[in-house]
Amino acid sequence: MEPALAWIVLGLPLLGAATLAAWPTEPPRSMTRVLGVGPIALGFLLSAWLYVQMLGESSDDRLVASRVWEWIEIGDLTIDVALQIDPLSVMMMLIITGVGSLIFLYSTEYMEHDRDYRRFFAEMGFFVFSMLLLVLAANFLFLIVGWALVGLASYLLIGFYYEKPPAVAAAKKAFIINVIGDIAMVIGAFILIVELGTLDYALVFEAAPDGLSRGAVEAVTILLFVGAAAKSAQVPLHTWLPDAMEGPTPVSALIHAATMVTAGVYLVVRTHELYELAPFASDLVAITGAVTLFLAATIAMVQVDVKRVLAWSTVSQIGYMIMAAGLGAYGAAMFHLMTHAFFKALLFLSIGIVIHGLAGEQSLDRMGGLGRHLKLAYVATAIGVLAISGVPGTSGFFSKDEILASAWDAGDLGRALWVVGALAAGITAFYMFRLLLRTFYGPEPGGGYGVHPHRSRWPMTVPVAVLAVLSLFGGWIQVPSGWSWITDWLEPVIGPESIPGQQAEGVTLVASIAVVAIGAGVAWWIFAADPGRRSRLAGRFAATRRLLEDGYRFDPVYQQALVQPSRDLGDYLYGRFEPDFIQGMLKGAVSLVRGGAIALRAAQDGLVRTYAFVMVAGVVSLGALLAWVVTR
Amino acid sequence: MSGVPLIWYLLLSFGLFGLGLLGVMRRRNPLLMLLAVELMLNSANIALVGFARHWDNTDGQIFALVVMAVAAAEVVIGLGLVVAVFRQRLALNVDEMSSLKG
Repeated sequence: MEPALAWIVLGLPLLGAATLAAWPTEPPRSMTRVLGVGPIALGFLLSAWLYVQMLGESSDDRLVASRVWEWIEIGDLTIDVALQIDPLSVMMMLIITGVGSLIFLYSTEYMEHDRDYRRFFAEMGFFVFSMLLLVLAANFLFLIVGWALVGLASYLLIGFYYEKPPAVAAAKKAFIINVIGDIAMVIGAFILIVELGTLDYALVFEAAPDGLSRGAVEAVTILLFVGAAAKSAQVPLHTWLPDAMEGPTPVSALIHAATMVTAGVYLVVRTHELYELAPFASDLVAITGAVTLFLAATIAMVQVDVKRVLAWSTVSQIGYMIMAAGLGAYGAAMFHLMTHAFFKALLFLSIGIVIHGLAGEQSLDRMGGLGRHLKLAYVATAIGVLAISGVPGTSGFFSKDEILASAWDAGDLGRALWVVGALAAGITAFYMFRLLLRTFYGPEPGGGYGVHPHRSRWPMTVPVAVLAVLSLFGGWIQVPSGWSWITDWLEPVIGPESIPGQQAEGVTLVASIAVVAIGAGVAWWIFAADPGRRSRLAGRFAATRRLLEDGYRFDPVYQQALVQPSRDLGDYLYGRFEPDFIQGMLKGAVSLVRGGAIALRAAQDGLVRTYAFVMVAGVVSLGALLAWVVTR
Repeated sequence: MSGVPLIWYLLLSFGLFGLGLLGVMRRRNPLLMLLAVELMLNSANIALVGFARHWDNTDGQIFALVVMAVAAAEVVIGLGLVVAVFRQRLALNVDEMSSLKG
């Protein structure tokens, strides 16, 4: 196995992004395309090569930390510049660069009309670099560095249309909420330094069982999970993700599918050795995931903006992964992470074709009947909807069922969360079929579309087709009671994992097919069977609809409880504290100096003989003092 | 150790130093103040040389040589200033040279 490959994969996107950013003028578009897509695609090929090489190693030799040099040495603490190369990081590399390069290829066409073509690809490349650093880091310090850089990159990309105030506000919101997580992670790392004196993954995991008290390990894991929740948009730190839809659609696809939001799941799986020592924190993770997946699924039912429906569905699906990770089903969590990357990227890219075709229209109320005009987008979205709903045979079916089956086997808490997850699976089917039907089915909107929907060219259609195939068949690599390639592949990292029992599989299979059928059927009944029924129902449930449309009013509460007090404090500090107190202190210091100077100026009278006298007097009194001290 | 006892050297040095000090403080003519400073420096030299003889150690004598060099340098600068003031046709009175007062 060649560790240098991982360094090259990590460096390529940064090199491409830096070259684009440093180019003195706006480079030709063809060159931007090559420098944008090339490094990621090449990175995918090299990652695949690394994967093949790793396949040839025995499972003990698959855990490699590639140390290059010692970066920091303070007392007993040493921090290396090192990459962790193991099945988990290779799997993340494959997902990031694989799905990433499809999204990049798609962007070359989607962003064709944008004047900031170069900036877009530079920032996207930087994003992929940050995410690769996050998953490849071999110690908590570099993990946090990658973590923070991902936050910065998301800030840049969400605020890509910086002339639009909502985009700027969304970018700031994402950044601030992510920084809350960063701070928690830094504190967690400090606890590790104090307790164990190291940040190296291998050393921390080795020393944790004996070196960490129960309280310390719970504190560290909860702090790390605050970071994971901020990045992965878990309740109560989820509010930034729907607003992040202000960025261009490929950015949403990248954030939601291949990078960023998966980081929290990755973190919990990566540090599972700590979570296994912290039952309370693990339960907290699982419950947070379950609460998130349910709330987000209900909110997604009523959103009118297509991208916001997808955003809330992402929050919900990440909730499934977090729940699985909290329950100790790491293989299932990573499996769902992978299939979700496929079908969520597919959904964003195919909905992106619609938005692109309608020149930026995102409201479901202005869509409908588009299936006649955009056949490929229709088919691709339908495949994505089938996969995310968990229709048997598609990728989402296998991964979601494995999560639910693992939950069924995970004690009383797991059984309770199974009920939540199964219910939400039905809701998922409902809102995804609603999206599909309201976009592509039924009559055209009153007043027609703003523009005539136009088809897309191959750079947009090919990635969609590839992702559609992956979404349909990507689940067959892990089949209950058949084979479990993902869990086997990850075994060197996550340890042997118990396979859900026959009963769990059976109950889950029946339940999930039933809830999906009910959810999809209700969606059909409301949105397709009778055109008038939707508005009649909307009238009857107006209050509930409003509550859900506002996302359970998290934002107004945060506005009241946190943002407004901060703003008031800022106003007070700016309006009163600064002019009165800070300026007052400065003015006081100035007048003190000035007064002292006026008093002392009298001493400098310009008479040389006075100076001589003062000097002699000083020498004499010093001598007297000395004599007194010596003789005493 | 034969010859003049140390105390005589020190008394002479003390006397000359006191005269020099009075001169610096009392005189108004910068030329005479420079002379008084020279007097103080050389009184110190006498003390140094006296101690050097008393302890039979040449450090003091070397130090006296250094003081002479410093004194020469000081006189060069001081006389230079005096000449400069004289060229301006100003009164040679230090009490009137007080334009740098606060």
